[in-house]
Amino acid sequence: MAKPDLLPGTLDMLILKTLTRGPMHGYGIALSIKRSSDDVLTVEEGSLYPALQRLLLQNWVKAEWKMTDTNRRARFYTLTPAGRKQLGIELSEFQQMIAAIGRVLSDAQEA
Amino acid sequence: MTFLNKLSLLFRRRRFDAELDEEMAFHRSQAEKEFLSAGMSPENARYAAMRRFGNRTRIKEHSREVIGFRAETIMHDIRYALRQLGASPAFTLVILLTLALAIGANTAIFSVINGVLLKRLPYQQPDRLVRVFLSNADYPKFPLNPFDFLDFRARNQSFESMAAFSRGDVQLSGEGEPVRLYGFGITSGYFHVLGLHPQLGREFDRASEIPGNGLQAVISDRLWRTRFGADPSIIGRKITLNMQPFTVVGVMPAGTVHPGNVYHSLPYGEDVDVWWPFSFAGDPNRRGSHFIEGIARLKNGVSISQAKGDMNGIMSQLGNEHPNGDKGWAVLVIPLYDEVVGQSRQMLLVLSGAVIIVLLIACANAANLLLARASSRQREIAVRLAMGAPRSRVVRQLLTESLLISFLGGGLGLATAYGGVKALVALLPSDFPRAQDIHVSAPVLVFTIVITIATGMLFGLAPAFQAASADPKEGLQKGGRTTIGSGRQSRLRDALVVAEVSLACVLLIGAGLMLRSLLNQLRLDPGFQRVHVLTASLSLPHATYPKDEPIGRFYDQLAANLNELPGVESAGVGSDLPWTGYDENAGGFTIEGKKPPAGQDFHGRYHMATPGYFSALGIPLVAGRFFTAADKRDAPQTIIINRIMAEQYWPGENVIGKRMSFDDNPKSDKDWITVVGVVGDVKDQPDSPGAKNAFWFPVLQQVWTNDMSVVIRARSDPRLLADALRNEVRRLDPSLAVSDVESMDSIVDSSVSTPRFAFALVGLFAGLAIVLAGIGTYGVISYSVSQRTPELGIRMALGAVRSDVMKLVLSHAAKLAGLGTALGVIGAFAMARLLKTLIFEVSTADPVTFATVAGMVIGVALLAGYIPALRATATDPVNALRSE
Repeated sequence: MAKPDLLPGTLDMLILKTLTRGPMHGYGIALSIKRSSDDVLTVEEGSLYPALQRLLLQNWVKAEWKMTDTNRRARFYTLTPAGRKQLGIELSEFQQMIAAIGRVLSDAQEA
Repeated sequence: MTFLNKLSLLFRRRRFDAELDEEMAFHRSQAEKEFLSAGMSPENARYAAMRRFGNRTRIKEHSREVIGFRAETIMHDIRYALRQLGASPAFTLVILLTLALAIGANTAIFSVINGVLLKRLPYQQPDRLVRVFLSNADYPKFPLNPFDFLDFRARNQSFESMAAFSRGDVQLSGEGEPVRLYGFGITSGYFHVLGLHPQLGREFDRASEIPGNGLQAVISDRLWRTRFGADPSIIGRKITLNMQPFTVVGVMPAGTVHPGNVYHSLPYGEDVDVWWPFSFAGDPNRRGSHFIEGIARLKNGVSISQAKGDMNGIMSQLGNEHPNGDKGWAVLVIPLYDEVVGQSRQMLLVLSGAVIIVLLIACANAANLLLARASSRQREIAVRLAMGAPRSRVVRQLLTESLLISFLGGGLGLATAYGGVKALVALLPSDFPRAQDIHVSAPVLVFTIVITIATGMLFGLAPAFQAASADPKEGLQKGGRTTIGSGRQSRLRDALVVAEVSLACVLLIGAGLMLRSLLNQLRLDPGFQRVHVLTASLSLPHATYPKDEPIGRFYDQLAANLNELPGVESAGVGSDLPWTGYDENAGGFTIEGKKPPAGQDFHGRYHMATPGYFSALGIPLVAGRFFTAADKRDAPQTIIINRIMAEQYWPGENVIGKRMSFDDNPKSDKDWITVVGVVGDVKDQPDSPGAKNAFWFPVLQQVWTNDMSVVIRARSDPRLLADALRNEVRRLDPSLAVSDVESMDSIVDSSVSTPRFAFALVGLFAGLAIVLAGIGTYGVISYSVSQRTPELGIRMALGAVRSDVMKLVLSHAAKLAGLGTALGVIGAFAMARLLKTLIFEVSTADPVTFATVAGMVIGVALLAGYIPALRATATDPVNALRSE
């Protein structure tokens, strides 16, 4: 089944939003996005890890090695205050854009 | 912030990699578990997880790119490129040497162009400076008459300021040995026009132009330091010039550059040591003699043609006011820059054309080598593409390699240029302008960097795109054994070789034409005998030799004494020497019983000579006799003329005994001068179109200059007589300085130094070009032989003999060479016209040169093809077939 690609630029926002639920490792983030989107959005690992490095560099998330429930070592990512602020910015920009697109589309329907 | 994080990660790269690995391994195992719990077999679950996770290396590279600096990937590419170059040292050596020579040659020639043509002249607003000359049918570029100059200066509307100058070397005595110094008589405001200011004192004012006020001097910084110990109180001090006391009124700063002049010419440069005031003596209504040169600064907004119009308007007024001297002249207004560099510009343009051709050939060679290598690296590139490397990354990698090659070549080239520029400056003809301004300077470095990058791009782009556009599947399947895209690629390689051969052909034809021209000049009969002749100049100070008679007596006596010296075959003194650029005013005269054609007059160059002058120079006697001791002051006046004048004015007659006069109205016998001899013709310069009418007076009868040249024909090496000459001069007058001691050989040599220099360089570049084109042809043919080994094997297995194979390979080389030569000959036909002013008595379509070069180029190409052809015939058919 063909899956829609993520809108460009939204992956960072999705990761940040996912992390508001608490610290998570990479696999958990991918799984969480997939589940909460009812399997519509699949985060490719090829984009996930470079994106996490990008967020780390900006200090929007921080990473810690911890033990999982099954006692395996994994890197857990936590949202930082700066990351939370960034998420707010990206959300409002995203909503503005969605609203704008919506207006254009409804105009187009009326015409 | 980001930057700091990146920086800290830079030092923890290993840990970063390890953590990323662990994280990804964890991710895979989690996914595997998920598949397992969905009911997959363990093995399938593992593969499914791996498939889903994708290309690990690529994810890692992406993650690394996020945290890495851009420079890091570039460094990575460079390290990789260096490894590649080290892996094939022969390839690297050939390509680097080629580029080093080509870039070095371009840098060296650009240093010359930058110093000579591009650098501003060292005056204020030099683009507003112009030179002013007169011109008519006989004298296309002539100095001004002093009183004409005064009228020009007073009446013109175009110049902010105007001045004049005239060569007049001086003898400095008083402290130590007397020395001859380069000097100029200048009007007031001369330095003001140039925008130069004395570092001490002042320049001359209008009062110094009045006759009698002339005993003042402005001296150079060099003279001030070397002769006067940089004495700060030099202003007002008296120094002895030409045996007279001159008061120093100013000292010019270092870097005061003489703008060059044409009358008794001294080239542009810092050679002038003394400036003295030019004074306007004599009758202002006599406008016949021309010996000062004009220089002026244009007013803002006035163009050259406006100034020319203005000046010619004044000239025609003057023609009406002074019909005897000022009629028939036009005024030339020439930008100073053109005057300084004009002669050398054409040659420099030709040289830069030559080095650009060499660079293009080097680029073609480098591109060919890279193309050949790219096809053998096809497998490597195919693997990289298959592993998911983006094409842009592969192109970048390959371009990094070619840029690295060009930068290494450029670096070596710069070192070559450093040495090359020194050699070039040493080889430059002595009259070449601005040689002291030629250095490997900052603009030259920028130029080198730019051409280095351009070169790398030029020879790297085609191979890079060709390699990256390949289909990885095909590349992997063929496994790099056989060429891919071979049709298109070999056509590109062949085209590059054809281009190289044709460019080399153009350059060789240019060099050939210049060589023929140089040989013509060297073979030319100069009209005199150059070997074993010593020359020197002398100037008698006006203060001690105020009149004609003592001057004539001095020179006559000196010549007689020199003739007595052991080792001297003959010696003489004359007003000038052949081929030294002397361009004396030509005088008009009357010929007994003849009338000049309407609107013209009888004229010729006038000179003076002692009896031994002609035999010392080896100028042959055509008729009559040379001067003898009998041609004394009170004896009947005699004159010697040259052959062309005899033929022009007395065609078919015996000219000996005929009479001419310089009096407007000759009445008595003593107004007439008798022709006693005819001598052979000598041209002004070796490449002058023909000799001019000329005549000589005996020094005892006519003298109007204090400056003369000494000529001594020795029995052996003439330089051994230099000290004897100085002794003889000192014996007659210990206060005199002997200058310009030089053998006639070296004067003749320096008169062809410009064509020799131009030929030497163009010939060098042409030689380089043909060698490079030969290497290029060899490379392409031997590559195609190696690619065609299986085919050749089959042919031989099917019965082809060695000569067939040889023919097959050589015909490929011949095809390339033939096409290249044909294009080169056409190109040379079109471009040889640019050489027109640089070559002498050779047609720009000289068939000998064209045919020789064409034969040579084809010969070199066939030779370059012969070696691989020989290898091809040695192919063992069995091995060749097995290798497939």
